[in-house]
Amino acid sequence: MTSASKARERRAQARRIVEEQKARERRRRVTLWSTIGVVIVLVAAGIVGYSVMTGQQKSNANKLVTPSVAVDDGTAFAIGSGPVVIDLYEDFMCPVCHEFENASGATLQQLVAEKKVTLRYHPVAILNESSNGTEYSTRSAGAVAAAAMAGKFLAYHDVLYANQPQEGSDGLSDAKLIQLGASVGLTGSSFADAINNKTYDAWADKVTETFAQRGYTGTPTVVVAGKQVTGATGGYPGPSDLTAAVAKAAG
Amino acid sequence: MPGREGRPVGNVTAERVWPWISTVARLGLAAVFLTAGGLKIGDLAASGRAVYAYRLMPFETARTVGAVQPFLEIALGLLLLAGLAVRLSAGVAAVLLVVFIGGIVSAWARGLRIDCGCFSAGGDLGAGQAPTYGWEILRDVGFLILAGILLWRPVTRFSVDGALMGPPSPPPSPSPARLPAKGRQR
Repeated sequence: MTSASKARERRAQARRIVEEQKARERRRRVTLWSTIGVVIVLVAAGIVGYSVMTGQQKSNANKLVTPSVAVDDGTAFAIGSGPVVIDLYEDFMCPVCHEFENASGATLQQLVAEKKVTLRYHPVAILNESSNGTEYSTRSAGAVAAAAMAGKFLAYHDVLYANQPQEGSDGLSDAKLIQLGASVGLTGSSFADAINNKTYDAWADKVTETFAQRGYTGTPTVVVAGKQVTGATGGYPGPSDLTAAVAKAAG
Repeated sequence: MPGREGRPVGNVTAERVWPWISTVARLGLAAVFLTAGGLKIGDLAASGRAVYAYRLMPFETARTVGAVQPFLEIALGLLLLAGLAVRLSAGVAAVLLVVFIGGIVSAWARGLRIDCGCFSAGGDLGAGQAPTYGWEILRDVGFLILAGILLWRPVTRFSVDGALMGPPSPPPSPSPARLPAKGRQR
């Protein structure tokens, strides 16, 4: 190899090293800035989520109208006046709640008639995702509050279950909710107005929040004298489970 | 990326195939997070209830976590879709998935009967429904594998990373006879 070609080789190598260093420097810069970018995007998303949540809570608090007839911090409607309190958490979209009502509704009313229990119905809305965005769970809970204000909670509750829509369908329309009300004697304009204006919908969300806060996750949830009652194999309690729990609570 | 140099010539095929496998993993993981976040973002209160159902934190905390989570999931999904800082994004995804799997395992171990709330507002489980923890964990482990692929081989096609980095420079060791590693990173 001549000395001239050796020098060329050395120059080429030096150039390569400089280029490599430049490329490495560029990649280091890109990595740094894309890392910063990712962190900023994630933090921003978190902040947006938080502010959306507080905004929704504030707007719900502003819209909240608590039906004056509601008991238990304004989250339930009471039937009967017996010493043992049974809290019932139900969603009008929940088919298992309907099964529970069919199986035990008569027993519960019998216990009320015997002045053994006070039923406290909590109309929760946890199945809104099962009504194609029409939020049937919230709307039906709001409607039953309007019925309770007109003194017809139980009749309307029962007619809603008798006409329960398929889970995953659009649910009953507001017009149908008003029409079913008329069928049980809810003919006043205040009932229809409350449904059309969604007067008690924010309240339904509050009932649901209270339900969750108490540690309950599913419907139907049946609580006798502060203690959750289930069937022998889990699931919802049957008539005999209920009467046994009531007898035990009564002492 | 470090550790690339000195790969035998026989692995040239692997060098060419991996970016495509990683691309599929990246887009798949993006779809997972966008779907998961998108299904929850419409009902933040329900998302908060789903978090509280795990009984791992106080109600107020769970409500905040449940509200923030879908926004984070969507942001992460978009970052993966764009391919920005793929290794870091995949790392965040992996951390989230490990937390989710841990939550499900702990719910299972404590005998809670809940819906994981992974792809729904979750929380509640009808009286007749049995929890499906095993399947949920298996599914999340599958997603974790996708994130693992990206942590290991973050170079993908059609990514912002590729556009910003340009073609990779030859490795630092001065060996003039090296084949140009063309188009590894685009």
